[in-house]
Formats: sequence, structure tokens, C-alpha cells
Amino acid sequence: MPGTAEATVSFLARADLDELIQALRAGGRRLIGPTVSDGAIVYDEIQQAAELPHGWGDEQGPGHYRLTRRDDERTFGFVVGPTSWKRFTFPPTVPLWRARRDGTEVSFESAEPEPAPLAFLGVRGCELAALGVQDRVLRDGPFADADFRARRANALIVAVECTTSASTCFCTSMGTGPEVRAGYDLRLTELDEGFLLDAASDAGTAILQRLPVRAATDAEQARASTAVAAVREELGDPVMTDGLRDRLLANLDSPGWASVAERCLTCANCTLVCPTCFCTSVGQASDLDGLDSTAERHWDSCFTPGFARVAGGGDFRARPQDRYRQWLTHKFATWVDQFGTFGCVGCGRCIAWCPVGIDVRQELAAIAPPPESAARSTGVREARFVVRATAPAREPLVQAQASPAPAPVAPAGTGLDFLPAVVRSCFPETADTLTLVLGDVDPVILAARPGQFVMVERPAFPAVPISISRLSEVHLDLTIRAAGFATAELTGLGPGEGVGLRGPLGRGWPIEAAVGRDVVIVAGGIGLAPLRPLVDRVLSERERFGAVRLYVGARTPRDRLFGLDISEWGTRDDVEFAETVDRAGAEWLGRVGVVTHLFDTAEWDGSQAVAFVCGPERMMQAAAATLLARGLAPERVYVTMERHMECGVGLCGHCQLGGFFVCKDGPVFSLAELGDAFGREGL
Amino acid sequence: MGRPTTAARLRVGVARFTSCGGCQLTLAGLHEALLAVADRVDIVEFAEVLSPRSSGPYDLLLVEGSVSTPDQARRISELRRQARLLVTIGACATTGGIQALRNWSDGDAWRAAVYPQPQFIHALRTSTPISEHVTVDALLRGCPIDPGQLAELVTALLVGRRAQLLDATVCMECKARGTVCLISSQGAPCLGPVTKSGCGAICPAFGRACYGCFGPAHPANVEALKAQFADQGRSDEEIGRLFAGFTANAPAFRANARPPLAVLDQPPVGPEPAARISHGFPGVPPLTASGDDDARQ
Repeated sequence: MPGTAEATVSFLARADLDELIQALRAGGRRLIGPTVSDGAIVYDEIQQAAELPHGWGDEQGPGHYRLTRRDDERTFGFVVGPTSWKRFTFPPTVPLWRARRDGTEVSFESAEPEPAPLAFLGVRGCELAALGVQDRVLRDGPFADADFRARRANALIVAVECTTSASTCFCTSMGTGPEVRAGYDLRLTELDEGFLLDAASDAGTAILQRLPVRAATDAEQARASTAVAAVREELGDPVMTDGLRDRLLANLDSPGWASVAERCLTCANCTLVCPTCFCTSVGQASDLDGLDSTAERHWDSCFTPGFARVAGGGDFRARPQDRYRQWLTHKFATWVDQFGTFGCVGCGRCIAWCPVGIDVRQELAAIAPPPESAARSTGVREARFVVRATAPAREPLVQAQASPAPAPVAPAGTGLDFLPAVVRSCFPETADTLTLVLGDVDPVILAARPGQFVMVERPAFPAVPISISRLSEVHLDLTIRAAGFATAELTGLGPGEGVGLRGPLGRGWPIEAAVGRDVVIVAGGIGLAPLRPLVDRVLSERERFGAVRLYVGARTPRDRLFGLDISEWGTRDDVEFAETVDRAGAEWLGRVGVVTHLFDTAEWDGSQAVAFVCGPERMMQAAAATLLARGLAPERVYVTMERHMECGVGLCGHCQLGGFFVCKDGPVFSLAELGDAFGREGL
Repeated sequence: MGRPTTAARLRVGVARFTSCGGCQLTLAGLHEALLAVADRVDIVEFAEVLSPRSSGPYDLLLVEGSVSTPDQARRISELRRQARLLVTIGACATTGGIQALRNWSDGDAWRAAVYPQPQFIHALRTSTPISEHVTVDALLRGCPIDPGQLAELVTALLVGRRAQLLDATVCMECKARGTVCLISSQGAPCLGPVTKSGCGAICPAFGRACYGCFGPAHPANVEALKAQFADQGRSDEEIGRLFAGFTANAPAFRANARPPLAVLDQPPVGPEPAARISHGFPGVPPLTASGDDDARQ
């Protein structure tokens, strides 16, 4: 046991193991530990020591796992099986909230996390690291997953150092094992005759004091250290992690992605056995009248068909190679940007449980090979799992000198609660688009900034992300196009009916960055909706800005939004306003053509201007290119990205775009921030 | 946009084509859930349960079974005209069923061998899914269908929302249940990784490899799974049998299926499945059994 010089190490005889089991179970704690079931060592509830896998081992390879009989009676003489501890800290299904409708009123009730105390017996170094990775994702960010937090706080951890390894293990490369260094309550290293045991927390010490232990001898400790060191030696350093992030991101166009996609089944097994993967979706179960519904979160995967699909059927990662690339680059590259660590802990589960035996170590070597010159280090490497103490600070959208920097988004409660609001009036905009004016809106949500969005839910329907299209002191407008059932339900609402709102979410338009500068606003179609609060703000504080140019495009005259506002903008002499439609009949007297034609030959100089652009991605690409050609700096061209969103706070994984969660890091980004993620296929 | 489904009582019918009747019985087997549904719908045609017979029009027609006779081919077109929403249920109706194995054989030879007076047997050359004949609005897969999926479909229809039917592979459901993967742990020839979810992964939970009765997932990388089975030492014939099951005629499995006694390498391919989605309820988006609903606007 390296690094435990100051701690007292105890010895527990093999015959007394059940004393530990019962001490862990004391006080009604559910003990989860390894046990043999269905031809594998799985984690399940343990009542007594006899249920542990004494004398069992495992043999693992790509797409291969077999239980083996050991020639000794070791209890922890195996490596890791198909179960990971996330099954207990982040279960496959968790209730989120209940939504009810009574007449026109709606109400929402968040599920209370179930705080059943747990103890985990046999947590390996890599698994302990995985729990730490999920802590960063689900607990330590600006928004916490309440259920995960409660389960994690209630789990006592008995870690085990590895004295055996499988061919699939690469903890040494990821810096997570085979030793156990921190983050446990009790730590255990197995010898033939018993276990070395030490505590690193008050809870661990309290349990240790109740056990029939004696002090471990120096010889016993030396034998334990040697056994663990032998595992490290055996594993070597199979994955070159130095520079891996950069190498992967430099190879986004590698032919290796298509090659692995030929073998990949997109079955999602790798992500489901992964102890750090955290992607989920929300499902609704309702009664037959749709008056009472329950939302549940369930495990999902970036490999499933609908994972990156958005309204109208567009799929940002339609090809299997896009999905594999998303998974691998997230684990080994963008996870570092987001959370300061790799998303992989080297447990090897994705290798053993891939039905066709795809081996991430080989794929990494093929797609992002280490430089020829780099000498492979073969010696002992210290744990370097934590790449950075915290995720790197993102460039603030608002410059430091700007007046009151927007506070971090902090909706009421956990940030995940729906709050009711009431439809005051409805304005049809087009054949399929309607603006709902909402009243009785919670002040937290009314404090939204232009460009932010809310999740909107009607009981029995999935919550949908909708941009705020106007803000006032008492009202909040949502402009909604009926693109699916949930939006059809919303556009079918009449005055007096209730909806649930969660938010405000996302980063809004960085208006302060435009103070004292010329402002260019470019809208395409329903992209005008999130821009309207920005226009309102700029026009209400008109003197703070230079020239204001507003260009609006729609598909046809019938698709034009906000007719009253457009009339007003067109008559102001302090705004240069122009609009166009892609195609029109004889009744249309205005301009026809794409929106970029409104300013690609204009006289103005864009070098000091700030642009805000929203519309379909292809339109934004065209607009961005035109704006850059006019001299605007990429740092000052802001676009708002569309991705599939479910949670809105960076916990469900759907809206990932490179190193960003669009919901929480965006949806507004500057072109400089997006870099080549803007317009890249399959991200 | 109107929400016509929320208040109206639906006229529901159940029609049977070539099938065992097991999927209809899944509807009967909903028990309490069926009673609750019965308050909101009028089941006017359900031969397995109701004595009185009726006819269309139907708001919702559940169609079980495949088309395997000339008479059935005519009848499904008539029924389609009477049904506002037509939902096919089960492996037979959605893929052609186990009886589609005859698509690989010489039907006349079999008929002559089995029946003393084969001239009285009027059967089509192939057994085909309903969607090769008429437009279907949604489908429920499986042999038999999953009662939970059926209840969800009816509920969603009444509420006016999209049915939430998991669109993934059987592996997703094995992992959610905590079933140990049969391929990695036993080398079993499990079709779970290329099979559509929805059954709850019942078979693997009892140690039986998935035989694909829910049909192919989308995408289904059958070639890669076959290569793995071959690496495990299975012959082409053995692998071909794996796909020659209840959904052998589904497009992604068809080219890989090798039914016993087959005389054709490939069955005759019918018209591509209609896969057209009709707008059963004006103003409400199409009812599809999978896919995403709404996203950010």
C-alpha cells in the first residue's frame, strides 16, 4: 500500500470477512458488492460474505468475458465485470417530476431523491476515478443532478486495490489504478490469508474499530505493495495519453472513423457499460386523459438513432461514424475541455462488452497515433488522472470592462423545477406559428436576458426548448412553430391555460459587447424570435450603440413573423432595416432573394461592428461568411446554434457540439469560440 | 391547431390477416388497462373477444397478420379506405412473419406435396407485410407485440402526443435490466445488437439469445455481427439460420437469411414498404412509432 506511511494499516483475517460485511450493513445500509450471477461477476446486494465470489476470476479480451475458477480462494481475484457502480449512483431509470392538469391549471412536483444509504464493497481504482468523473459532471457543475447528489452522499465506499489484471485493463495509462489513493472510506488489499485494511474517513474509521483486526506487519504490507506493483508492471502503458486530446481533435477527418463504423454495431453497449457515460433522455408516462403524467429519466446513448435529432427530422449525427467519433472524442478529448479530466478511466469494459470486440486502444492508435519520435515510456508512471484542477475558464462573452456582468444562470430551486405560467393571449404569426404571451411568470424567469430560452412543458407532453421572443416586466412571449406533437399542443393553447416553464437557460446575446459599436442583426425565418428581445433592448437604449442594421429574411411572404414590429422598424430613421423573402408571388412588392443579399453589396464598413445572427444553420453559415468578408472579426460575430435539448442545463448530453453543451455554454456562440465546429458535418 | 383526439371516443377495430392471433390477444391481455381504455374507445370489431361483428369506418384499425392470399390483398385495400389511422401490429403484419420463409421456396411444389387437392389453395407466391400494400400510420413490432407498447400507443393517440417507444437496440434494454451480455460472456449467437428495442429484452434475461422478433434496428450493421459470429466459429449456414426467423423478410435481414430447405438465395423483393405516413388527424403531426418529437425553435 504505497503512500500510507502515516495511516495505520490493519489486518483482517479471511475468516472474519463476514464481520466487515455485517458492520457495513449495520443501521439498515444496503451493501452492494460483487457476486457471481449468470456467468459473470456482477454487483448486487450482498447479505453475507458467502455471497462474494470467493475463488472466482475472470478472463477478458475484446468482445470476450469468461468466469474462471482460480486455484485459490481469493475474494477479489477478478477485475471488473459488466456492472459499474453508476447502476447505483445513477440508476437506469429515475423519476424526475409529476405534472398535472386540472381544468386550465397546471402544477408540477419534483420527485424527491430517495436517500437510501448504500455501501459499495470492492470499488477498484479505476471505478473510484469513474465516480469522481461523474461527480464533476453531475454534481459539481453549475447545475447538480439532485438524485445523483443524494445517492452519492449516502454511499460508503470500500475500495480494493487490484492484485490481478485483465488484458482489457489500461488504468495505468489513464492514471487511475491499480493502486487506490484517495476518495474511499475504507481501503482493502487482499493477501492469501486475509486483507489489509485502512480508513480514510470518520465513517471508515468507525467501521474499522468494530472489526476483529490487528495491526498489519511490515512484511504483510510489503507483500501487498509488491502484488499491486506487479499489476502495474504487467499492464505497462498501452495508451499514449500525452497530447492525446490534441491528436484526436486534429484527426476529426481521419478515414479511421469510417473504418471503425464498418465494424461498429451502434448498439450502445460501450456507453452503457462505461462507468462515466451519463447521457440520458426523459420519457413521459401519462394517464389516458393526459391529465396526470410522470417524467422519468432513463439511460440513453450517443449511439441511439434519435439522440441528436431535432425538430423536422434533422439529425446532426446521422452516420454511425459520426456517433463513434462523438463518443471517442468526448471520452479522450472534449471531456478534458469540459471537465478537466479524461472521460475514460481505463477499466476496459467497453472492450470486453463490445459484441464485436472493438478495442478503443487500437482505435486511438489508428486514428490518433502517437508521433513516431515519442519514445514510449515503459516505467512506472504516477497517477496523472486529474489533468487540470478545474475545467478551463471559457472566454467570457461579455468583456470585463462591461457594466454589470450577467450573473450565472440560477433558476429557482434546483434549476430543474418547472414553474407554472398562464397564457394571456395568442397571436397567430403564420399558418403553423403562434406567439403565446404568458403572464404570472415567476420573477426568476422574467429576469431572463435576450437570447435565453426556457423549457416549456404541458402535462403528458415532453418539455421543449423555446426561445424567449419578447420580455417585459410582466409578460414573456414565446413564438412557437408546430413542428411536433408537443409544439402542436402548445400552439393549440388558448388564453387562461397553464404551461410549465423552467429557466431562464443558456447564455444570451452579449449585448454589452456591442456597446459603442455598430450593430448588425441578421434573422432567417423563426430565427427572428430569439433576436426580437435583442432588437427591443438595442432600440430602447439606442444611444448606446452606433449604426443599427437589421436584416430579416423569410421563406415566403406568408412566413413573415412579427408584422407589427417589422412595420415599426421599417419606419424608424435610426435603424437601417431591410427584409426579403426567398420566393414570392405577384402580391409581394418587396425584395426577393436570400437574406445575405441584403448586405453583401452595402456600403458600410464592418471592421468595428458586432453581428448577431440567428436562423437555419446553412443560412447562418452564408451570413457569417458574408459578414467576415465585410471585415467583421470572428470574435464579434455571434450565432445561436440549434441542437437536440432535453435538460437545458448540461446534464443529459444530447446537445453536445465539440467541447460545448449548446444548452448551457450557448446557444449563443461567437464564431471564434466555435472555430471549425461551426458547419462541420456530423458534430 | 386543433386537438381532436382528446375528447372524442375512438371507434377501434382489430383486423386479422395471416397470423396466429397472439398479438390480438395481447390487446385482450391488457386486462385492467383495457377496461380503462374501454371507457374512452368503442371497440367495434375484435373477433377474438367480441361476438358481434361490425364494419368501418374506424378511427383506429389495428391490423395483425401478413398478406398471403389474393383475397387478403384486396381486403387490406378496402380496410385502409375505412380507417383513419391504420396501425400494424406484430412481426407478421410488419415484416411478413415466420410464414414469409416460404418466400425463399417453391410454393407450388410445397402446395402439391402437402395438400391432396392443391387446386383449392389460393395463396400468393409470397407473404408480405401490410406496408407493402397500403400506407400504414404506425407499427408495433414483435412476436408477439409488447403489451406496454400497445398501451402506450393507445394512450398517446387519445392524448394526442407521440407514442414513446424506445428507438434503440435490444442491448439498451438488457443493460437497463442488468442482464449479462450473452455474446461476450458465453459466445451466444444473439441478434440483440441489430434488433429493435421494445420487448424489454425478455429472452436474454432468461439466458436465451435474441432471435430478432422485433425486426432490425435502424441502423442494423448485420454484416459486422455476422463477421463476429463467423469469428466464433459458426458456419455461413448456421449464421443464415439465425436471421431466418420471425422477421426474416425484413429488408435488413432478408439478404442474410438462409431458411432451411430454401431453393432461392434471395426471395423476390416486393415493392419497398410504403413507409408513408398519413396525416390521420388534420393539424396534428404524423404519428410515427419512432423518432424525435420537437426540439428547440
